[in-house]
Amino acid sequence: MTEMEKYRIFDNELEKLIERVLKMSNLVHEQVGNAILALNNCDLELANNVIENDHKVDKLDVKIDKLCQKIFALQQPVATDLRYIISSLKINNDLERIGDHAVNIAKRIDSLCDYTNFSKELGVTEVANQIVMLSKDVDQLIKTQQPILATDIFKNARIIKDSCHKISEKIIEEMMQQKEVIVIATNIMIIVNLLERIAAYSTNIAESILFVIDGKIVKHKKKTEE
Amino acid sequence: MKSIKIHTENMYLHYGSKMALNNVSIEIPENKVTALIGPSGCGKSTFLRSLNRMNDLIDTVKIEGNILIDGINIYDKNIDVVNLRKKVGMVFQKSNPFAKSIYENVAYGSRINGINNKNELNEIVENSLCNAAIWDEVKDRLHDSALGLSGGQQQRLCIARTLAVNPEVILMDEPASALDPISTSKIEELIHSLKEKFTIVIVTHNMQQAARVSDETAFFYLGELIEYGKTKKIFTNPDKKQTEDYISGRFG
Repeated sequence: MTEMEKYRIFDNELEKLIERVLKMSNLVHEQVGNAILALNNCDLELANNVIENDHKVDKLDVKIDKLCQKIFALQQPVATDLRYIISSLKINNDLERIGDHAVNIAKRIDSLCDYTNFSKELGVTEVANQIVMLSKDVDQLIKTQQPILATDIFKNARIIKDSCHKISEKIIEEMMQQKEVIVIATNIMIIVNLLERIAAYSTNIAESILFVIDGKIVKHKKKTEE
Repeated sequence: MKSIKIHTENMYLHYGSKMALNNVSIEIPENKVTALIGPSGCGKSTFLRSLNRMNDLIDTVKIEGNILIDGINIYDKNIDVVNLRKKVGMVFQKSNPFAKSIYENVAYGSRINGINNKNELNEIVENSLCNAAIWDEVKDRLHDSALGLSGGQQQRLCIARTLAVNPEVILMDEPASALDPISTSKIEELIHSLKEKFTIVIVTHNMQQAARVSDETAFFYLGELIEYGKTKKIFTNPDKKQTEDYISGRFG
């Protein structure tokens, strides 16, 4: 095998990885969008679709992991290639977790259908819609690798996390005042917690993309003015 | 702060009218391994050979600029080239033991330097072979021919021969390119242990080897030093696109 052939094989493998990561991002973005739509409209059929489609996310997760392992073992990547493959592993993991959370939201929709007004009053619907926008930005960032999108994601994820904490405090107050809402309030609290985790994983993904772009590790650093 | 062992300033080298090195300025730190990488013909071996004046053997070579080792210009008229090459030893791509016994190969340099005391020679031979990580393999057959050793053993014997004259710098020109993976790994481990006592400059075409063994990496292209820095930086996030293209195999 000539050197040129060797690198053509490498480039093909890299192309395949990029394609799979984009597909994963798209799939997870769709899962989140559908889970939130099902939550807002109490659409149990759509919620069920989200649950059923999770196996596609899991399957792709394993395929991406295996491809990264293969490239590490056979191609010994360096520089930008190395950073991209390291980040793909992390992004893949974060996307898979986001996919799981979309499923967890979908599984709880049934129990919340009779209390949509309560959810709205608490501000859950607003945060859920912000999560859909955040998920769209994450998908775009993975596609375009534009650092400005990462900055937006850091900022919006922070806002979402703050809102989630405020909603949780309100829920606790409600539970203390009316014991009969404990069951439903706990379910809403879990949903809020899942939304907050999706925001946190989105931040991780933005950090990984910045690492691909310029090799700087930005995690655990203050990113937005608080 | 790291101390600088080798320092070149605005160095140019011509083979006749052909420029082989173009304004190379570099500071090579003491007790570190510095890898020189770049495509064939980029000047890395020429640069390596300039550091112990091996290029003097070629009539058409003309060198300008300064090459300082420990602050002394090695191209000054009063420099004794034999002493320089004792201080700056060299290991080549192809192992080149003398057609003599293992013992005599290592003792050779000391003998021509006037050391004939048997005990002293024994000590030099044992120490050098130990430092070159080959003593255990040859201690029972020191008087057998060196040519009976395997390729990897011959290369470590040549390193022992270099060590026997107490150098401060060791230049290595693709020392493991002709060896199998096990011998290569022994040479790489050896390079790692030798840097405690010596300053090592190694030319290699094997990117993974440069990444594994060196602390600093210099990338040469068309006679110019394109990028020089910490190996971990060069291999994860190089500053220059040319460096990135070369180390990731997308060159030309």
